[in-house]
Amino acid sequence: MQANTGQKTVPTVKEGQVLAEVWEDVVDVRELLLSLLISTTGALGGYIIAPDAAPYPLICGLTGALLAFIVCAVLFKPKRELIDEEV
Amino acid sequence: MDLSIIVQMIIAAVIGAVVYTLIGVAPGTDETAVLAPITLAIVLMGAHPAVILCFFISAIVAKKLTDSIPVAVAGIPGGVMAAPMVEHAVVLKAHGRPDLSIRKMASGSVIGTLVAVPMSLLLANALVPLAPVIKVYANQVFLIGAIFLALMAREKVVSLLSIIPFALLIQGLRHLYWGIEAVPKTTTVFVSFFLGITIGPMIVNILELFVSTKRKDLLRDSYKKITMREDAKIKGIPNPFSILDIKETISAAIGSVIGCLTFFMSPVGMTIFLGETMSARIKDPIQKAARAISTMDALTNACYVSGVLIPLIALGVPLSPMAIGPANPLFNAPPRFTLENNLHHVMGSGGYFLPVLLGAAIALIITYPITIKYSTKICRFVFRLISHEALLGMFFGLVLMLAYMEAGFINIWGVMLVALVAGTLNRWGVNYGVQFMTLYSGAYISTLILF
Repeated sequence: MQANTGQKTVPTVKEGQVLAEVWEDVVDVRELLLSLLISTTGALGGYIIAPDAAPYPLICGLTGALLAFIVCAVLFKPKRELIDEEV
Repeated sequence: MDLSIIVQMIIAAVIGAVVYTLIGVAPGTDETAVLAPITLAIVLMGAHPAVILCFFISAIVAKKLTDSIPVAVAGIPGGVMAAPMVEHAVVLKAHGRPDLSIRKMASGSVIGTLVAVPMSLLLANALVPLAPVIKVYANQVFLIGAIFLALMAREKVVSLLSIIPFALLIQGLRHLYWGIEAVPKTTTVFVSFFLGITIGPMIVNILELFVSTKRKDLLRDSYKKITMREDAKIKGIPNPFSILDIKETISAAIGSVIGCLTFFMSPVGMTIFLGETMSARIKDPIQKAARAISTMDALTNACYVSGVLIPLIALGVPLSPMAIGPANPLFNAPPRFTLENNLHHVMGSGGYFLPVLLGAAIALIITYPITIKYSTKICRFVFRLISHEALLGMFFGLVLMLAYMEAGFINIWGVMLVALVAGTLNRWGVNYGVQFMTLYSGAYISTLILF
């Protein structure tokens, strides 16, 4: 990690976080990998364990993806710092 | 039409408008990546054709309205197509009028939709006689489309050079799957390769985190700083015709008409070209920027609506960057839809009006007032609650599931390969349009180069 260049540090950054910019926004690398894992398990897992008759696999897969999304949104907070502008 | 179908259409349109109002605000959400997988899932779940179309139209109108919110509020684009507007929104912000941006853009967007819907229905009917010719020569048309879009792209040489190798990659994977009997010879894997292309840039970006020479450029030591401003208070129901002055309304309407006529062109290119042209002669910087963003937003909306509706109604073949991108599942979603039997074939000529009008109207009624009145609040809600990690994860998971669905576990790796190549090409300036056209003409191209 780079040394602090004397600018005001952001208090919200936690010890041990590895931040990176992916697709136009900042993420914590470890949380991103966990999120990919959880989402894949949800979507693919839902699809595979569903009864083998259309349209159940797709519905279970989508439900799994949605549940995984909610889990990830609760577990992993946005890495955005909102600054209010004086008008 | 059955009353229960109409009720389903209304429900689908409301869901589409609400969901894509939120997704539109999230930064970095490319239109194809967020619209195509969910539309595909709805198609494959067996929804009624009118319900699918109504959902899709509502979703794109809402998404187009709200992807300008982060441009105005925070100066970051909510999607690829909003990128050209950032510069002008920054001008308005610098002159102390950031409140103008969102109102002008959203109102331009409404004009775009109001012009594009009737215009597309008319143009489509005029093009119907061409359909039989285009269908016979679909392969050639897609190849010419790939070459045409490559020549229009910023990086012409690499775009042109990428066509044949990329076609071989696609066709090579299909033959591999047939050879090892991952899928029967009658199955042509398509949709998962399509999704691989759409998430390509994201996959390359994530993999770069594991490349030591690239990683240092991606690492950050602070959160993403987003400067927000408060909403200007607006009482009552906003009216786009009073928010835009007469010149802006005319300019937005002309932009929309031209956007419809050039439905087969790259919308981002047209947006930049026309937006700048229409505002070039205005001296006052605030008026100039206001004219530019209202025209641009009208135009992107019109390009979207016409790019989807004209090929869908007239041809049944996805011959525009919009149709081949976000709207692709309406044309090609095997096993339900194929190029010979898709939404175009099952809808019947009069069936389009109600779903299109209902979808557009519901999205405008829900999303436009919300956008004008609560832009900052929605932005705060999305920025504070929905992490980028969760969004990236969801699209990644959906794509892998759809890959498995189409051709089993091996296809997950096949899709990763396609994403890796497509994302790298994308990074070099080979745009989605060229890649999608190549995907469509892959089988044809590989027979052409057999000597």
